Amino acid sequence: MLGVRQPRFSCIPDGFLMDGRPLTIMLFAGVAECVGQREVELAWQGGTAAELRGQLRDRYPAAASLLDRSAIAVGERYCRDEDQVPPEADVAVIPPVSGG
Amino acid sequence: MAEAAMPQRQAAGPLATDAHDRGHGLAPQLVDGPIDVEMLRRQVAADTAGAVVVFVGTTRRATGDVITERLEYEAHRPLAIACLGRLQDEALQRFSLEGCGIVHRLGVVEVGEASVAVVVASQHRAAAFAATAWLMDRLKTSVPVWKREHTANAKPCWVHGEERPGL
Repeated sequence: MLGVRQPRFSCIPDGFLMDGRPLTIMLFAGVAECVGQREVELAWQGGTAAELRGQLRDRYPAAASLLDRSAIAVGERYCRDEDQVPPEADVAVIPPVSGG
Repeated sequence: MAEAAMPQRQAAGPLATDAHDRGHGLAPQLVDGPIDVEMLRRQVAADTAGAVVVFVGTTRRATGDVITERLEYEAHRPLAIACLGRLQDEALQRFSLEGCGIVHRLGVVEVGEASVAVVVASQHRAAAFAATAWLMDRLKTSVPVWKREHTANAKPCWVHGEERPGL
């Protein structure tokens, strides 16, 4: 049913649309702690990394400051803000790092 | 928040099967136990090198008035390995190195223990020192590894800088 958005049912988790699988996003460190989850699901039809960050920021305002400083990674690469994040990508939010 | 079960590994290495699959660079490693620095040094050292620099980052007890009891590290493992590999490859080229290896430990690292080891081999010492500093600077700003600081008088806290990571 491409392009047709189905009604949302109460038994379906927030962010899950009937016309596609939700995008699963991995969270780490302070972002995971702030959100209270290691993974979140977001309805995602595709868009840029900046748009994805914006949606997460709207949904988790408590993590907004950290999300603003976080990169979006797809697979084993960091995205630039303008890079497209396809639906069903392997996505992670990468807050400022502190290894070493 | 439950940690995903990760295979437990002890000290880094031996790496006989994949030790030299990055040209002169060892495959970078994330380990869940103590780092075997001497083994890493032996694996990186080369007959063509006149200098081998070994850098070991350790958990420091005091930062000003703050007393650290231990550090705890986590990583986006596949991305961290990929980033470390790209850093090694760039260092090998940029500094014309004879060898290079990086191991980062995850999980709890007690005071005085090693959280990271970088070993660089080059023909002359200037390149080895410069490459080691370059690698550590970039590791600390671009590789998706995070530390959580456990201190004597405050709740455990994730350490995050201001800079958005990228490579």
